[in-house]
Amino acid sequence: MRPRVNYSFPEEVLEHVFSFIECDKDRGSISLVCKSWYEIERWCRRRVFVGNCYAVSPATVVNRFPKVRSIAIKGKPHFADFNLVPEGWGAYVGPWIKAMAAAYPWLQEIRLKRMVISDECLELIAKSFKNFQVLVLTSCEGFTTDGLAAIAANCRNLRELELRESEVDDICGHWLSHFPDSYTSLVSLNISCLGNEVNLSALERLVSRCPNLQTLRLNRAVPLDRLANLLRGAPQLVELGTGTYTTEMRPEVFTNLAEAFSGCKQLKGLSGFWDVLPSYLPAVYPICSNLTSLNLSYATIQSPDLIKLVGQCESLQRLWVLDYIEDAGLEVIAASCKDLRELRVFPSDPFGLEPNVALTEQGLVSVSEGCTKLQSVLYFCRQMTNSALDTIARNRPNMTRFRLCIIEPQAPDHLTHQPLDAGFGAIVEHCKDLQRLSLSGLLTDRVFEYIGTYGKKLEMLSVAFAGDSDLGLHHVLSGCDNLRKLEIRDCPFGDKALLANAAKLETMRSLWMSSCLVSYGACKLLGQKLPRLNVEVIDERGPPDSRPESSPVEKLYMYRTVSGPRLDMPGYVWRMQDDSALRIS
Amino acid sequence: MAKEGLGLEITELRLGLPDAEHVTVVNKNEKKRAFSQIDDENSSSGGDRKIKTNKSQVVGWPPVCSYRKKNSMNEGSKMYVKVSMDGAPFLRKIDLGLHKGYSDLALALDKLFGSYGMVEALKNADNSEHVPIYEDKDGDWMLVGDVPWEMFMESCKRLRIMKRSDAKGFGLQPKGSLKGFIESAAK
Repeated sequence: MRPRVNYSFPEEVLEHVFSFIECDKDRGSISLVCKSWYEIERWCRRRVFVGNCYAVSPATVVNRFPKVRSIAIKGKPHFADFNLVPEGWGAYVGPWIKAMAAAYPWLQEIRLKRMVISDECLELIAKSFKNFQVLVLTSCEGFTTDGLAAIAANCRNLRELELRESEVDDICGHWLSHFPDSYTSLVSLNISCLGNEVNLSALERLVSRCPNLQTLRLNRAVPLDRLANLLRGAPQLVELGTGTYTTEMRPEVFTNLAEAFSGCKQLKGLSGFWDVLPSYLPAVYPICSNLTSLNLSYATIQSPDLIKLVGQCESLQRLWVLDYIEDAGLEVIAASCKDLRELRVFPSDPFGLEPNVALTEQGLVSVSEGCTKLQSVLYFCRQMTNSALDTIARNRPNMTRFRLCIIEPQAPDHLTHQPLDAGFGAIVEHCKDLQRLSLSGLLTDRVFEYIGTYGKKLEMLSVAFAGDSDLGLHHVLSGCDNLRKLEIRDCPFGDKALLANAAKLETMRSLWMSSCLVSYGACKLLGQKLPRLNVEVIDERGPPDSRPESSPVEKLYMYRTVSGPRLDMPGYVWRMQDDSALRIS
Repeated sequence: MAKEGLGLEITELRLGLPDAEHVTVVNKNEKKRAFSQIDDENSSSGGDRKIKTNKSQVVGWPPVCSYRKKNSMNEGSKMYVKVSMDGAPFLRKIDLGLHKGYSDLALALDKLFGSYGMVEALKNADNSEHVPIYEDKDGDWMLVGDVPWEMFMESCKRLRIMKRSDAKGFGLQPKGSLKGFIESAAK
């Protein structure tokens, strides 16, 4: 009888090995191997991402992962950005903060997106976590500068405070004064979405005493003649967002600004540039050749000045810009920006009835020809052709994200007046690694057949004003193996495709359908068939069972969850698993 | 293969909703209704060939996020509006916020379109070929000069310098539009 030999590694060794695995998916796979790996993994998990705040309860996360240091949570559906989700829908972060405050005294990082966070939550964060370092709020709402003051006053080790496109009730510009004079650890500060003036003296003192500050994004109210002072106090900056970029034309302001920019040898990213006065743009020319990231999507710079500026940034990897860039500017970019990976072109006049700029499909074709590393595109325009889309697809088969928004709904190919099925079909056929796709223009079910056939790595699909029948949706649900998020509005998709692909819905994170043809009866059926999904009907007109079961629901949002029904549903959200007769509304 | 699956579920659907024929009928109606807003917009746009009425906005379209909408529209209180003139080959834009009253506006329009007879239009409105009108927030076309400047600034969405013959067809009375303003400015 030979002695039994233990072949498994000690837990400490496995824990060390696991610490090198950073991808969430890989972590998830590790935890499925066996019970002991599950236990080791859960104790050494430091970083958690929650893609939907209602998919799992705070208690479940806390119980499974006892030593988390960093958490990222997403809340509202993406369509909340476009006012399709009613006020008061939910995504309150309060329960999460309370649970983490009790369980994670050493939590360091919180990143939230599309969530509602109150000042009380910010105060709780400020007082609960002994070594809090990172707070990033993207598209969040519900808080004021009072909450920010609490963070500033109490988080002695804060490194990053980033407010991105959030709705802040900007009560007082003096919240910056709450950073103690002894506080010097700031690495990143983004106040670009604040509406009011900030205390400039406090800001200048803060910026100049933090030697590791790398990112500074100012709000619009910071005047141009104070920018030079800020830059002189932080010449080590790597990313800068200016405030307003206009003032009275005074030679000394320009000189100071140009000198300050010349002193910033590390600058790689620029943004801001609200209200640009073109005469001041040459001040940044000396640093343009080093820039890898440029966000001018709030900069109302007319085409000639914009082209002159962007044309000097030959190292760009990321460019966000308004459509003032026009086709001519995109041709310049195609000729000079050989490292470009991401391009976003936003509309300067999205609700105008007629084009106000000369931006067409040709601009995007030019970029696809000249920028060989291009992977990600978001492009608003007023016309497109199948031929152009085909050319773009053949030019850039390595694209992973393609979001095209033709501003007029159901606009056909502007040359042939045909649907754009073949063009988008080429995109999904040639771009084999495509993960994200947004459709627009005139489209029939045929485009969905292409997507179902070729979109094998597609994870997120956004559809509007497209398709003919249930068959279109069926193609997508039955063909896109990796689809995680699907959002559909104003399409004639109804019950058959959903019911036929119910099992597929369980593999997805979420599905949004609004202004479609899904009946209340089908929603109830789905709720019964899919107990692990929350099937929620959003109907501000009153209880859906007051109408015939065959009548279409206004908005449907279904998502995978292990925590059952939400406890904070507003009166206009109806969970299909619940007996609505028992609800008090 | 796909169709077979769909067929099976159709059977299941029938079990769940007994009146299949009724469902079909309702679906057809609903399909039409779902796009009624767009259809109305199209027909409206097609019908008013001479003056485009403003299409009602589809909620959430185009997909520009709320934050961007708010921040872009408050362009440091700039109030750009488009200006078109019948006979001129291109539109212009003018910042109403930079002007203090109708006199300033008249002079600015003169600069923009002088070579297309704007001078005559302003100086001698009764006999000129052109009449300035604007589209207000309600989508109605109004004669420039009827309301106080501040009210005009707040409600003006775009301007058009219209041919007199077209103005008559719409029942506008062009007398005394900007004439008084341009004359007082000249003094």
